[in-house]
Amino acid sequence: MRSLYEAVLGIILAVVLHTLLGKISASLLFLFNTFSWVVLYFSLAKHEVFGAVMGSVCGLLQDSFSLGVFGVGGLTKTLLGFSTGYTSRKINVAPPVRNFVFLLIVSSIELALWKFLVFFLFRERLAWGGGLVFFQPLTTALIVTLLFQIMRRVREEGS
Amino acid sequence: MLLAGLIFFHLLLISLQVPKGKEPTYFERAFFAVFSPVQHGVVSFFQDLRKFWNNYFYFRQVRRQNQEMRDEIFIVRQENQVLKNLLLKYKDAREIQDLLSAISRSILVSSVIGFDSSEIYKSVVLNKGSLDGVKKDMVVLDKRGRLVGRVIAPISLKQSRVQLVTDEASGVGVFSERFKVVGILTGNAEGKCLMKYVLKTNKEIEEGEEVSTSGFDGLYPSGIPVGKIVSCTEDATLFKKIIVEPYFDFSELDQVAVITVDLRGLS
Repeated sequence: MRSLYEAVLGIILAVVLHTLLGKISASLLFLFNTFSWVVLYFSLAKHEVFGAVMGSVCGLLQDSFSLGVFGVGGLTKTLLGFSTGYTSRKINVAPPVRNFVFLLIVSSIELALWKFLVFFLFRERLAWGGGLVFFQPLTTALIVTLLFQIMRRVREEGS
Repeated sequence: MLLAGLIFFHLLLISLQVPKGKEPTYFERAFFAVFSPVQHGVVSFFQDLRKFWNNYFYFRQVRRQNQEMRDEIFIVRQENQVLKNLLLKYKDAREIQDLLSAISRSILVSSVIGFDSSEIYKSVVLNKGSLDGVKKDMVVLDKRGRLVGRVIAPISLKQSRVQLVTDEASGVGVFSERFKVVGILTGNAEGKCLMKYVLKTNKEIEEGEEVSTSGFDGLYPSGIPVGKIVSCTEDATLFKKIIVEPYFDFSELDQVAVITVDLRGLS
């Protein structure tokens, strides 16, 4: 039950941060994808099943705030959540540097897959935001690594 | 098993939207209706906080703003009077009064509470919905009366979505101000617009010209300023490649006006 509350809180925080970033400057939305942060964090913390479900919910939520095809974000984020959770259970990605590199790889793959689907299947032009979008995996990996390490420390000190 | 189920579910959702441009599914409407109030709440909270700060702690700023607004109102009144006088040449005073009062009643001031989560140039979310009288295809203008886009589905009770003119899937009938060269304006996915279907043989269009709505699309009333031509080149196709920079500015897009009546019927 606690996991469910945490997940709901995470989703609401993602929407709040997404809204605030957009209000500060719309271009920041190219750089920061708050929905990916939540999916990656929960996939690392609670592994593949939780990650896939969080990916579905956050992806559909991202799609519902967009004019793009509803379901594409959901599909790519489901795969992101599942693969991150599954891999993190199989190999140790807890050390900070390894954590960062791993997250950078999976978030780059997710972004590439999403752009691929939008461009090749739905024939839409891609928006690069003056190149800002290329830094999105980097910021995602950095923020989620920091968050994950902080939460790990807090949990270790608490136990 | 779960992963296969979720992937199947998403593929089903995507296939339900074929052909593209159909009405949003109930599922999409439900997501929008449930989560857009969160955006509304966040923006309202920070707007109230800012108002509180401005009202109680920042009097110097208020005083300066007050003076600026007085000056602006003075100019707007003068401009309004000049335009009324100009209109008198074409219509009688009563007709004009009816027209102006209908227009002033039809402006619904609305705040932008969210940008498109995938590609910001596609759409924005407003804090006014069906309860405020917002309906599909209503025209949306910025603070200075320049075209921003139109309302599209889904519209929830207190929120609605606007398709921006910078969206690649949008289409606006436009003409150039000087020689009335007609074209269709669509977004180019990078925050600018393309004026399409102007033949290469047409020499009466050039950089720096203003572009306004033509009204030929049956959606937007004619004469609304949209943007300025920033580039006019030719390639291998029959048509010119004309790039238009829209007038509305993303950084100033916090408040917009939704026009709740059909202006085409009033003019």
